[in-house]
Amino acid sequence: MIELRNVSLKYGDKEILNNVSLTVRDNTIKAILGPSGVGKSTILKLMLGLIKPNSGKVIVDGTDITNMKEASLYSIRRKMGMVFQGNALFDSLTISQNLGFFLRENMKLPEQEIERRVSEQIQFAGLEGYEDQLPESLSGGMRRRVAIGRALIFKPHMILFDEPTAGLDPVSSKKILSLISSLRHNNNLGAVIVTHIIDDVFHVADCVAVLYQGKIIFDDVTDKLNHSQHPFIRSILSDKILEL
Amino acid sequence: MLLNFARDQEKAVILWLKNFILTMQEFFLFSVRAFIAIPKIKRYWRDVLDQATICGTDSIPIVLVSAISIGSLLAIEVGNLLEDFGAKTMLGRSTSLSVIRELGPLLMGLMLSARFGSRNGAELGAMQISEQIDALRAFGTDPVAKLVMPRLLAALIMFFPLTALSDFAGLHSAAYMAEHYHRLDPGIFWNAVYPRLAPKDFVVGFLKAPVFAIIITLVSSFNGFSARGGTAGVGRSTIKGIVVSSGLVLIANFYVSKIVLENM
Repeated sequence: MIELRNVSLKYGDKEILNNVSLTVRDNTIKAILGPSGVGKSTILKLMLGLIKPNSGKVIVDGTDITNMKEASLYSIRRKMGMVFQGNALFDSLTISQNLGFFLRENMKLPEQEIERRVSEQIQFAGLEGYEDQLPESLSGGMRRRVAIGRALIFKPHMILFDEPTAGLDPVSSKKILSLISSLRHNNNLGAVIVTHIIDDVFHVADCVAVLYQGKIIFDDVTDKLNHSQHPFIRSILSDKILEL
Repeated sequence: MLLNFARDQEKAVILWLKNFILTMQEFFLFSVRAFIAIPKIKRYWRDVLDQATICGTDSIPIVLVSAISIGSLLAIEVGNLLEDFGAKTMLGRSTSLSVIRELGPLLMGLMLSARFGSRNGAELGAMQISEQIDALRAFGTDPVAKLVMPRLLAALIMFFPLTALSDFAGLHSAAYMAEHYHRLDPGIFWNAVYPRLAPKDFVVGFLKAPVFAIIITLVSSFNGFSARGGTAGVGRSTIKGIVVSSGLVLIANFYVSKIVLENM
Protein backbone atom coordinates (compact mmCIF):
# COMPACT_ATOMS: atom_id res chain seq x y z
CA MET A 1 0.00 0.00 0.00
CA ILE A 2 1.23 3.51 -0.83
CA GLU A 3 0.05 6.54 1.08
CA LEU A 4 0.60 10.24 0.56
CA ARG A 5 -0.29 12.21 3.69
CA ASN A 6 -0.79 15.98 3.37
CA VAL A 7 1.97 16.28 0.81
CA SER A 8 2.91 19.72 -0.50
CA LEU A 9 5.57 20.45 -3.08
CA LYS A 10 6.92 23.62 -4.66
CA TYR A 11 9.36 24.12 -7.52
CA GLY A 12 10.78 27.56 -6.81
CA ASP A 13 7.77 29.82 -6.36
CA LYS A 14 5.46 27.51 -8.27
CA GLU A 15 3.18 25.39 -6.11
CA ILE A 16 2.81 21.91 -7.65
CA LEU A 17 0.98 19.97 -4.93
CA ASN A 18 -1.01 21.49 -2.10
CA ASN A 19 -1.80 19.26 0.87
CA VAL A 20 -2.42 16.16 -1.23
CA SER A 21 -3.52 12.97 0.52
CA LEU A 22 -3.91 9.78 -1.45
CA THR A 23 -3.99 6.04 -0.77
CA VAL A 24 -3.27 3.25 -3.23
CA ARG A 25 -4.26 -0.15 -1.89
CA ASP A 26 -2.74 -3.48 -2.93
CA ASN A 27 -4.48 -5.39 -5.73
CA THR A 28 -6.35 -2.35 -7.01
CA ILE A 29 -5.74 -0.16 -10.03
CA LYS A 30 -5.91 3.49 -9.17
CA ALA A 31 -5.86 6.22 -11.78
CA ILE A 32 -4.66 9.75 -11.17
CA LEU A 33 -6.42 11.96 -13.67
CA GLY A 34 -5.58 15.55 -14.43
CA PRO A 35 -4.54 17.99 -17.12
CA SER A 36 -0.98 18.03 -18.48
CA GLY A 37 1.56 19.73 -16.23
CA VAL A 38 -0.59 19.57 -13.10
CA GLY A 39 1.86 17.38 -11.15
CA LYS A 40 0.61 13.85 -11.83
CA SER A 41 4.04 12.45 -12.76
CA THR A 42 5.44 14.26 -9.73
CA ILE A 43 3.16 12.09 -7.54
CA LEU A 44 4.71 8.94 -9.03
CA LYS A 45 8.21 10.28 -8.40
CA LEU A 46 7.21 11.06 -4.80
CA MET A 47 5.92 7.50 -4.37
CA LEU A 48 9.30 6.17 -5.50
CA GLY A 49 11.22 8.64 -3.36
CA LEU A 50 12.87 10.10 -6.48
CA ILE A 51 11.93 13.55 -5.18
CA LYS A 52 11.12 14.70 -1.67
CA PRO A 53 8.08 16.77 -0.65
CA ASN A 54 8.39 20.13 1.11
CA SER A 55 5.95 18.88 3.72
CA GLY A 56 3.83 15.82 4.42
CA LYS A 57 4.67 12.13 4.40
CA VAL A 58 5.06 9.36 1.85
CA ILE A 59 4.47 5.90 3.29
CA VAL A 60 5.13 2.65 1.41
CA ASP A 61 3.96 -0.61 3.02
CA GLY A 62 3.94 1.08 6.42
CA THR A 63 7.46 2.54 6.06
CA ASP A 64 7.85 6.30 6.03
CA ILE A 65 10.18 6.99 3.09
CA THR A 66 9.88 10.79 3.17
CA ASN A 67 13.33 11.50 4.53
CA MET A 68 14.92 8.15 3.85
CA LYS A 69 18.46 8.16 2.47
CA GLU A 70 18.94 7.21 -1.18
CA ALA A 71 20.81 3.99 -0.32
CA SER A 72 17.97 2.79 1.95
CA LEU A 73 15.36 3.64 -0.68
CA TYR A 74 16.69 1.15 -3.22
CA SER A 75 15.19 -1.86 -1.44
CA ILE A 76 11.80 -0.06 -1.16
CA ARG A 77 11.86 0.86 -4.85
CA ARG A 78 12.42 -2.75 -5.84
CA LYS A 79 8.94 -3.52 -4.49
CA MET A 80 7.54 -1.28 -7.22
CA GLY A 81 7.89 -1.21 -10.97
CA MET A 82 7.78 1.98 -12.96
CA VAL A 83 6.83 2.54 -16.58
CA PHE A 84 8.09 5.95 -17.63
CA GLN A 85 6.22 8.16 -20.09
CA GLY A 86 9.14 8.07 -22.52
CA ASN A 87 9.79 4.39 -21.63
CA ALA A 88 13.38 5.19 -20.45
CA LEU A 89 14.74 2.06 -22.13
CA PHE A 90 18.52 1.80 -22.40
CA ASP A 91 19.03 2.63 -26.05
CA SER A 92 22.38 0.85 -26.39
CA LEU A 93 21.01 -2.46 -25.08
CA THR A 94 18.89 -5.01 -26.94
CA ILE A 95 15.32 -5.80 -25.86
CA SER A 96 16.47 -8.93 -23.99
CA GLN A 97 19.28 -7.02 -22.29
CA ASN A 98 16.86 -4.24 -21.32
CA LEU A 99 14.45 -6.75 -19.81
CA GLY A 100 17.16 -8.58 -17.89
CA PHE A 101 19.20 -5.51 -16.95
CA PHE A 102 17.89 -4.91 -13.45
CA LEU A 103 17.69 -8.60 -12.62
CA ARG A 104 21.40 -8.91 -13.39
CA GLU A 105 22.09 -5.61 -11.66
CA ASN A 106 20.18 -5.99 -8.43
CA MET A 107 19.18 -9.61 -7.82
CA LYS A 108 21.54 -12.47 -7.30
CA LEU A 109 19.66 -14.86 -9.56
CA PRO A 110 21.23 -17.64 -11.60
CA GLU A 111 21.60 -16.72 -15.29
CA GLN A 112 19.21 -19.55 -16.21
CA GLU A 113 16.45 -18.02 -14.06
CA ILE A 114 17.09 -14.57 -15.55
CA GLU A 115 16.81 -15.98 -19.07
CA ARG A 116 13.61 -17.80 -18.13
CA ARG A 117 12.06 -14.60 -16.78
CA VAL A 118 13.18 -12.62 -19.82
CA SER A 119 11.61 -15.07 -22.26
CA GLU A 120 8.44 -15.09 -20.10
CA GLN A 121 8.18 -11.30 -20.46
CA ILE A 122 8.99 -11.45 -24.18
CA GLN A 123 6.08 -13.85 -24.57
CA PHE A 124 3.76 -11.83 -22.30
CA ALA A 125 4.47 -8.64 -24.24
CA GLY A 126 4.13 -10.41 -27.60
CA LEU A 127 7.65 -9.52 -28.69
CA GLU A 128 8.89 -12.91 -29.92
CA GLY A 129 11.48 -12.42 -32.66
CA TYR A 130 12.48 -8.96 -31.44
CA GLU A 131 14.76 -10.12 -28.60
CA ASP A 132 17.98 -8.98 -30.24
CA GLN A 133 16.71 -5.69 -31.67
CA LEU A 134 17.57 -2.30 -30.23
CA PRO A 135 14.67 -0.21 -28.84
CA GLU A 136 15.01 2.36 -31.65
CA SER A 137 13.93 -0.24 -34.22
CA LEU A 138 10.60 -0.93 -32.46
CA SER A 139 7.30 0.94 -32.75
CA GLY A 140 6.06 3.16 -29.90
CA GLY A 141 3.59 0.50 -28.72
CA MET A 142 6.25 -2.22 -28.72
CA ARG A 143 8.67 -0.04 -26.77
CA ARG A 144 5.93 0.61 -24.19
CA ARG A 145 5.37 -3.14 -23.87
CA VAL A 146 9.10 -3.67 -23.31
CA ALA A 147 9.01 -0.98 -20.61
CA ILE A 148 6.06 -2.77 -18.97
CA GLY A 149 7.91 -6.08 -19.21
CA ARG A 150 10.98 -4.54 -17.61
CA ALA A 151 8.86 -3.28 -14.71
CA LEU A 152 7.10 -6.64 -14.30
CA ILE A 153 10.15 -8.85 -14.44
CA PHE A 154 10.94 -8.02 -10.79
CA LYS A 155 7.53 -9.41 -9.76
CA PRO A 156 6.71 -6.17 -7.90
CA HIS A 157 3.66 -5.64 -5.64
CA MET A 158 2.80 -2.36 -7.29
CA ILE A 159 3.42 -0.96 -10.73
CA LEU A 160 3.38 2.74 -11.59
CA PHE A 161 2.43 3.88 -15.09
CA ASP A 162 3.20 7.39 -16.29
CA GLU A 163 0.79 8.18 -19.15
CA PRO A 164 0.81 4.60 -20.49
CA THR A 165 -1.08 5.39 -23.70
CA ALA A 166 0.27 8.87 -24.43
CA GLY A 167 1.60 9.21 -27.97
CA LEU A 168 0.31 5.82 -29.09
CA ASP A 169 -2.10 5.07 -31.94
CA PRO A 170 -5.57 3.77 -30.93
CA VAL A 171 -4.72 0.12 -31.66
CA SER A 172 -1.51 0.23 -29.60
CA SER A 173 -3.34 2.10 -26.80
CA LYS A 174 -5.97 -0.63 -26.70
CA LYS A 175 -3.28 -3.33 -26.52
CA ILE A 176 -1.51 -1.53 -23.67
CA LEU A 177 -4.76 -1.09 -21.72
CA SER A 178 -5.62 -4.76 -22.19
CA LEU A 179 -2.14 -5.64 -20.99
CA ILE A 180 -2.63 -3.50 -17.87
CA SER A 181 -6.06 -5.02 -17.21
CA SER A 182 -4.64 -8.51 -17.50
CA LEU A 183 -1.91 -7.76 -14.94
CA ARG A 184 -4.26 -7.82 -11.97
CA HIS A 185 -5.83 -11.11 -12.98
CA ASN A 186 -2.53 -12.80 -13.84
CA ASN A 187 -0.19 -11.34 -11.25
CA ASN A 188 -2.37 -10.02 -8.44
CA LEU A 189 -0.74 -6.62 -8.81
CA GLY A 190 -1.68 -3.16 -7.64
CA ALA A 191 -1.17 -0.30 -10.07
CA VAL A 192 -1.16 3.48 -10.24
CA ILE A 193 -1.90 5.00 -13.62
CA VAL A 194 -1.28 8.63 -14.26
CA THR A 195 -3.19 9.83 -17.29
CA HIS A 196 -4.97 12.75 -18.91
CA ILE A 197 -7.18 10.47 -21.03
CA ILE A 198 -10.48 9.80 -19.29
CA ASP A 199 -11.35 6.74 -21.41
CA ASP A 200 -8.21 5.02 -20.05
CA VAL A 201 -9.57 5.54 -16.53
CA PHE A 202 -12.91 3.92 -17.29
CA HIS A 203 -11.15 1.13 -19.18
CA VAL A 204 -8.81 -0.10 -16.44
CA ALA A 205 -9.12 1.74 -13.12
CA ASP A 206 -11.01 0.53 -10.03
CA CYS A 207 -10.78 3.94 -8.44
CA VAL A 208 -9.66 7.38 -9.50
CA ALA A 209 -8.28 10.55 -7.97
CA VAL A 210 -8.65 13.79 -9.90
CA LEU A 211 -5.85 16.32 -9.51
CA TYR A 212 -6.69 19.91 -10.31
CA GLN A 213 -4.68 23.02 -9.46
CA GLY A 214 -2.45 21.07 -7.07
CA LYS A 215 -5.35 19.56 -5.09
CA ILE A 216 -7.25 16.29 -5.15
CA ILE A 217 -10.85 17.25 -5.98
CA PHE A 218 -12.19 13.70 -6.30
CA ASP A 219 -11.03 10.39 -4.84
CA ASP A 220 -13.40 7.44 -5.05
CA VAL A 221 -14.36 4.40 -7.10
CA THR A 222 -14.38 5.04 -10.84
CA ASP A 223 -18.13 4.50 -11.27
CA LYS A 224 -18.89 7.44 -8.97
CA LEU A 225 -16.91 9.84 -11.17
CA ASN A 226 -19.92 10.16 -13.48
CA HIS A 227 -22.03 11.44 -10.59
CA SER A 228 -19.62 14.15 -9.46
CA GLN A 229 -20.99 17.65 -9.73
CA HIS A 230 -17.62 19.42 -9.62
CA PRO A 231 -17.54 21.81 -12.61
CA PHE A 232 -14.04 20.70 -13.68
CA ILE A 233 -15.04 17.02 -13.60
CA ARG A 234 -18.24 17.77 -15.51
CA SER A 235 -16.15 19.53 -18.16
CA ILE A 236 -13.65 16.69 -18.51
CA LEU A 237 -16.44 14.14 -18.72
CA SER A 238 -17.81 15.98 -21.70
CA ASP A 239 -14.43 16.63 -23.38
CA LYS A 240 -12.94 13.16 -22.68
CA ILE A 241 -9.32 14.32 -23.18
CA LEU A 242 -7.74 16.97 -21.02
CA GLU A 243 -5.65 19.49 -22.84
CA LEU A 244 -4.62 22.66 -21.08
CA MET B 1 13.95 54.22 -11.37
CA LEU B 2 17.71 54.01 -10.78
CA LEU B 3 17.03 52.72 -7.28
CA ASN B 4 14.75 49.99 -8.66
CA PHE B 5 17.42 49.02 -11.17
CA ALA B 6 20.01 48.78 -8.38
CA ARG B 7 17.64 46.65 -6.29
CA ASP B 8 16.98 44.31 -9.24
CA GLN B 9 20.71 43.96 -9.82
CA GLU B 10 21.30 43.22 -6.16
CA LYS B 11 18.56 40.56 -6.21
CA ALA B 12 20.06 39.01 -9.35
CA VAL B 13 23.53 38.88 -7.77
CA ILE B 14 22.16 37.32 -4.57
CA LEU B 15 20.21 34.74 -6.60
CA TRP B 16 23.30 33.94 -8.68
CA LEU B 17 25.40 33.54 -5.54
CA LYS B 18 22.76 31.34 -3.93
CA ASN B 19 22.57 29.11 -7.03
CA PHE B 20 26.36 28.98 -7.25
CA ILE B 21 26.70 27.86 -3.62
CA LEU B 22 23.92 25.27 -4.09
CA THR B 23 25.61 23.92 -7.23
CA MET B 24 28.95 23.69 -5.43
CA GLN B 25 27.30 21.83 -2.57
CA GLU B 26 25.63 19.41 -5.01
CA PHE B 27 28.92 18.92 -6.86
CA PHE B 28 30.73 18.18 -3.61
CA LEU B 29 28.14 15.58 -2.56
CA PHE B 30 28.16 14.08 -6.07
CA SER B 31 31.97 13.76 -5.92
CA VAL B 32 31.86 12.18 -2.46
CA ARG B 33 29.28 9.65 -3.70
CA ALA B 34 31.53 8.77 -6.66
CA PHE B 35 34.51 8.13 -4.38
CA ILE B 36 32.45 6.22 -1.81
CA ALA B 37 31.25 3.92 -4.62
CA ILE B 38 34.81 2.83 -5.52
CA PRO B 39 34.64 -0.31 -3.30
CA LYS B 40 31.79 -1.49 -5.58
CA ILE B 41 34.40 -2.12 -8.30
CA LYS B 42 33.88 -5.88 -7.97
CA ARG B 43 30.31 -5.44 -9.16
CA TYR B 44 31.10 -2.95 -11.94
CA TRP B 45 34.49 -4.17 -13.18
CA ARG B 46 33.13 -4.68 -16.69
CA ASP B 47 32.01 -1.03 -16.79
CA VAL B 48 35.46 0.03 -15.54
CA LEU B 49 37.10 -1.97 -18.35
CA ASP B 50 34.75 -0.43 -20.96
CA GLN B 51 35.52 3.06 -19.71
CA ALA B 52 39.25 2.28 -19.58
CA THR B 53 39.09 1.40 -23.27
CA ILE B 54 37.20 4.61 -24.06
CA CYS B 55 39.39 6.99 -22.08
CA GLY B 56 42.63 5.03 -22.45
CA THR B 57 43.12 2.95 -25.58
CA ASP B 58 40.80 5.02 -27.78
CA SER B 59 42.52 8.25 -26.68
CA ILE B 60 46.00 7.14 -27.74
CA PRO B 61 45.86 8.71 -31.25
CA ILE B 62 44.86 12.19 -30.04
CA VAL B 63 47.41 12.09 -27.19
CA LEU B 64 50.16 11.04 -29.62
CA VAL B 65 49.28 13.71 -32.18
CA SER B 66 49.27 16.50 -29.58
CA ALA B 67 52.48 15.25 -27.88
CA ILE B 68 54.39 14.84 -31.15
CA SER B 69 53.35 18.26 -32.45
CA ILE B 70 54.24 20.08 -29.23
CA GLY B 71 57.54 18.18 -28.80
CA SER B 72 58.57 18.99 -32.38
CA LEU B 73 57.57 22.65 -32.15
CA LEU B 74 59.28 23.06 -28.79
CA ALA B 75 62.53 21.59 -30.14
CA ILE B 76 62.48 23.90 -33.16
CA GLU B 77 61.64 27.11 -31.26
CA VAL B 78 63.79 26.50 -28.16
CA GLY B 79 66.65 25.26 -30.36
CA ASN B 80 66.54 28.53 -32.35
CA LEU B 81 66.64 30.54 -29.14
CA LEU B 82 69.48 28.52 -27.60
CA GLU B 83 71.47 28.80 -30.82
CA ASP B 84 71.60 32.58 -30.33
CA PHE B 85 73.33 31.99 -27.01
CA GLY B 86 75.53 29.19 -28.27
CA ALA B 87 73.83 26.77 -25.91
CA LYS B 88 72.16 24.38 -28.36
CA THR B 89 73.59 21.42 -26.43
CA MET B 90 71.12 22.30 -23.65
CA LEU B 91 68.16 21.61 -25.97
CA GLY B 92 67.57 18.18 -24.44
CA ARG B 93 67.49 19.61 -20.95
CA SER B 94 65.05 22.42 -21.70
CA THR B 95 62.65 20.40 -23.86
CA SER B 96 62.59 17.44 -21.47
CA LEU B 97 61.73 19.68 -18.52
CA SER B 98 58.97 21.45 -20.47
CA VAL B 99 57.50 18.21 -21.80
CA ILE B 100 57.69 16.10 -18.64
CA ARG B 101 56.72 18.75 -16.11
CA GLU B 102 54.25 20.89 -18.03
CA LEU B 103 53.29 20.45 -21.63
CA GLY B 104 52.99 16.66 -21.79
CA PRO B 105 50.46 16.35 -18.96
CA LEU B 106 48.72 19.66 -19.75
CA LEU B 107 48.09 18.92 -23.42
CA MET B 108 46.99 15.41 -22.55
CA GLY B 109 44.60 16.88 -19.95
CA LEU B 110 43.12 19.36 -22.40
CA MET B 111 42.74 16.75 -25.14
CA LEU B 112 41.07 14.31 -22.75
CA SER B 113 38.84 17.06 -21.42
CA ALA B 114 37.62 17.58 -24.99
CA ARG B 115 37.44 13.90 -25.89
CA PHE B 116 36.52 11.99 -22.73
CA GLY B 117 34.77 14.91 -21.00
CA SER B 118 32.55 15.70 -23.97
CA ARG B 119 31.61 12.05 -24.35
CA ASN B 120 30.68 11.82 -20.66
CA GLY B 121 28.66 15.04 -20.76
CA ALA B 122 26.74 14.12 -23.90
CA GLU B 123 26.12 10.49 -22.98
CA LEU B 124 25.02 11.13 -19.40
CA GLY B 125 23.08 14.24 -20.45
CA ALA B 126 21.12 12.21 -23.03
CA MET B 127 20.46 9.55 -20.38
CA GLN B 128 19.23 12.21 -17.97
CA ILE B 129 16.91 13.81 -20.54
CA SER B 130 15.43 10.45 -21.59
CA GLU B 131 14.83 9.52 -17.91
CA GLN B 132 17.28 6.58 -18.08
CA ILE B 133 19.05 7.86 -14.97
CA ASP B 134 15.68 8.13 -13.18
CA ALA B 135 14.95 4.58 -14.34
CA LEU B 136 18.17 3.35 -12.73
CA ARG B 137 17.17 4.99 -9.46
CA ALA B 138 13.57 3.80 -9.74
CA PHE B 139 14.66 0.18 -10.13
CA GLY B 140 17.08 0.31 -7.24
CA THR B 141 20.45 0.96 -8.90
CA ASP B 142 22.72 3.77 -7.73
CA PRO B 143 23.39 5.74 -10.95
CA VAL B 144 26.56 7.32 -9.54
CA ALA B 145 28.02 3.89 -8.73
CA LYS B 146 26.95 2.46 -12.08
CA LEU B 147 27.81 5.39 -14.37
CA VAL B 148 30.26 7.75 -12.66
CA MET B 149 32.49 5.54 -10.49
CA PRO B 150 33.68 3.36 -13.44
CA ARG B 151 34.51 6.52 -15.41
CA LEU B 152 36.40 7.98 -12.48
CA LEU B 153 38.34 4.82 -11.75
CA ALA B 154 39.16 4.21 -15.41
CA ALA B 155 40.44 7.77 -15.78
CA LEU B 156 42.49 7.51 -12.55
CA ILE B 157 44.15 4.35 -13.86
CA MET B 158 44.54 5.24 -17.55
CA PHE B 159 45.74 8.84 -17.26
CA PHE B 160 49.10 7.58 -15.86
CA PRO B 161 50.10 5.52 -18.92
CA LEU B 162 48.71 8.25 -21.18
CA THR B 163 50.93 10.80 -19.42
CA ALA B 164 53.91 8.48 -19.84
CA LEU B 165 53.04 8.01 -23.51
CA SER B 166 52.65 11.75 -23.99
CA ASP B 167 56.07 12.36 -22.39
CA PHE B 168 57.69 9.61 -24.43
CA ALA B 169 56.23 10.80 -27.75
CA GLY B 170 56.94 14.46 -26.95
CA LEU B 171 60.58 13.77 -26.03
CA HIS B 172 61.27 11.51 -29.00
CA SER B 173 59.73 13.95 -31.46
CA ALA B 174 61.89 16.68 -29.90
CA ALA B 175 64.97 14.44 -30.26
CA TYR B 176 64.05 13.75 -33.89
CA MET B 177 63.76 17.48 -34.62
CA ALA B 178 66.99 18.19 -32.73
CA GLU B 179 68.81 15.73 -34.97
CA HIS B 180 67.19 16.56 -38.31
CA TYR B 181 66.39 20.25 -37.97
CA HIS B 182 69.13 21.55 -35.67
CA ARG B 183 71.70 18.91 -36.71
CA LEU B 184 72.36 18.08 -33.07
CA ASP B 185 73.93 14.72 -32.30
CA PRO B 186 71.35 12.41 -30.57
CA GLY B 187 73.96 11.48 -27.97
CA ILE B 188 74.32 15.13 -26.96
CA PHE B 189 70.53 15.57 -26.85
CA TRP B 190 69.87 12.51 -24.66
CA ASN B 191 72.90 13.20 -22.51
CA ALA B 192 71.31 16.52 -21.61
CA VAL B 193 68.02 14.76 -20.79
CA TYR B 194 68.59 11.73 -18.57
CA PRO B 195 71.33 12.58 -16.09
CA ARG B 196 69.74 15.91 -15.27
CA LEU B 197 66.16 14.85 -14.68
CA ALA B 198 65.36 14.83 -10.95
CA PRO B 199 62.59 12.79 -9.24
CA LYS B 200 60.62 16.00 -8.60
CA ASP B 201 60.35 16.54 -12.39
CA PHE B 202 58.50 13.23 -12.71
CA VAL B 203 56.45 13.86 -9.55
CA VAL B 204 55.23 17.20 -10.96
CA GLY B 205 54.23 15.61 -14.27
CA PHE B 206 52.70 12.42 -12.99
CA LEU B 207 50.86 13.99 -10.05
CA LYS B 208 48.86 15.94 -12.59
CA ALA B 209 47.43 12.75 -14.10
CA PRO B 210 45.12 11.83 -11.16
CA VAL B 211 44.25 15.48 -10.53
CA PHE B 212 43.16 15.94 -14.16
CA ALA B 213 41.35 12.58 -14.12
CA ILE B 214 39.27 13.68 -11.11
CA ILE B 215 38.52 17.13 -12.53
CA ILE B 216 37.59 15.98 -16.05
CA THR B 217 35.47 13.00 -15.00
CA LEU B 218 33.57 14.58 -12.15
CA VAL B 219 32.91 17.94 -13.82
CA SER B 220 31.72 16.40 -17.10
CA SER B 221 29.62 13.72 -15.38
CA PHE B 222 28.05 16.22 -12.98
CA ASN B 223 27.08 18.44 -15.89
CA GLY B 224 25.62 15.44 -17.71
CA PHE B 225 23.55 14.53 -14.64
CA SER B 226 22.37 18.15 -14.39
CA ALA B 227 21.19 18.37 -18.04
CA ARG B 228 17.71 19.87 -18.41
CA GLY B 229 15.66 21.08 -21.37
CA GLY B 230 15.84 18.54 -24.18
CA THR B 231 18.59 18.15 -26.76
CA ALA B 232 19.59 21.81 -26.46
CA GLY B 233 20.05 21.19 -22.74
CA VAL B 234 22.37 18.25 -23.49
CA GLY B 235 24.42 20.54 -25.75
CA ARG B 236 24.59 23.23 -23.07
CA SER B 237 25.63 20.81 -20.33
CA THR B 238 28.28 19.21 -22.58
CA ILE B 239 29.82 22.58 -23.48
CA LYS B 240 29.71 23.69 -19.85
CA GLY B 241 31.47 20.48 -18.81
CA ILE B 242 34.29 20.97 -21.34
CA VAL B 243 34.75 24.68 -20.63
CA VAL B 244 34.76 24.29 -16.83
CA SER B 245 36.98 21.19 -16.80
CA SER B 246 39.48 22.73 -19.27
CA GLY B 247 39.66 25.90 -17.16
CA LEU B 248 40.15 23.86 -13.99
CA VAL B 249 42.83 21.72 -15.69
CA LEU B 250 44.78 24.90 -16.53
CA ILE B 251 44.46 26.24 -12.99
CA ALA B 252 45.33 22.87 -11.40
CA ASN B 253 48.36 22.55 -13.72
CA PHE B 254 49.76 25.79 -12.31
CA TYR B 255 49.11 24.96 -8.66
CA VAL B 256 50.42 21.36 -8.81
CA SER B 257 53.68 22.62 -10.36
CA LYS B 258 53.93 25.44 -7.83
CA ILE B 259 53.25 23.28 -4.77
CA VAL B 260 55.53 20.39 -5.76
CA LEU B 261 58.44 22.56 -6.96
CA GLU B 262 58.27 24.71 -3.82
CA ASN B 263 58.22 21.69 -1.50
CA MET B 264 60.60 19.19 -3.08
